Amino acid sequence: MADRTEKQQAAQQAVDILHEISTILNCHLDRRTLSICISMIENGVNPEALAAVVKELRKEGQQVQLEAALQAQQLQQQHPSGQQQSSRRK
Amino acid sequence: MAFQAQLAALAEELVDAVGIPESHHERRSACQDFVLHNIRHHSFTRTNQFEVNDRLNGFDERFRVVGRDALADAYRKRLDALEPFHDEKHMPDVLHFLLELADKPAQKTQLSD
Repeated sequence: MADRTEKQQAAQQAVDILHEISTILNCHLDRRTLSICISMIENGVNPEALAAVVKELRKEGQQVQLEAALQAQQLQQQHPSGQQQSSRRK
Repeated sequence: MAFQAQLAALAEELVDAVGIPESHHERRSACQDFVLHNIRHHSFTRTNQFEVNDRLNGFDERFRVVGRDALADAYRKRLDALEPFHDEKHMPDVLHFLLELADKPAQKTQLSD
């Protein structure tokens, strides 16, 4: 049991250091994403293939955010009074 | 089968972590398929740990060449701290992954981050 806790602490420490290195290398990875990617690599995923996938997913994520912002803008233009009414109610 | 299920779960988590909202079901599903397909079928070679070490040390040199000694020191300190973990089987692969995602650190990284 104690051995397991020690192993977990060591793994945690390694992830902390890797996250700091990723920050210095400007990899744009948060701790959660890094932990997921480490788990995938430990499951035998090729690191270069994974990096390429992460880059593509980021592009997709940006696209989704852009589309959501455009939709919100269009809704606001179509129903400008709706928002005024709701703000009056407040 | 359990292995495939585990990878699928990790792929779903990755799509979530990158920021595709849950409301976009179809897109999330397509992204998940994209992740699974691309990590299974690729033409990348295996990690060469000596090349990884060279590239890691190369960043240290580059930081110093461009006069970012404090950043180089912070970087070297982290690499040294990672030394006890170098026997871990997947450590060269993880470092390779970070090197692939590095984005002009000598120009862009702020030490305050």
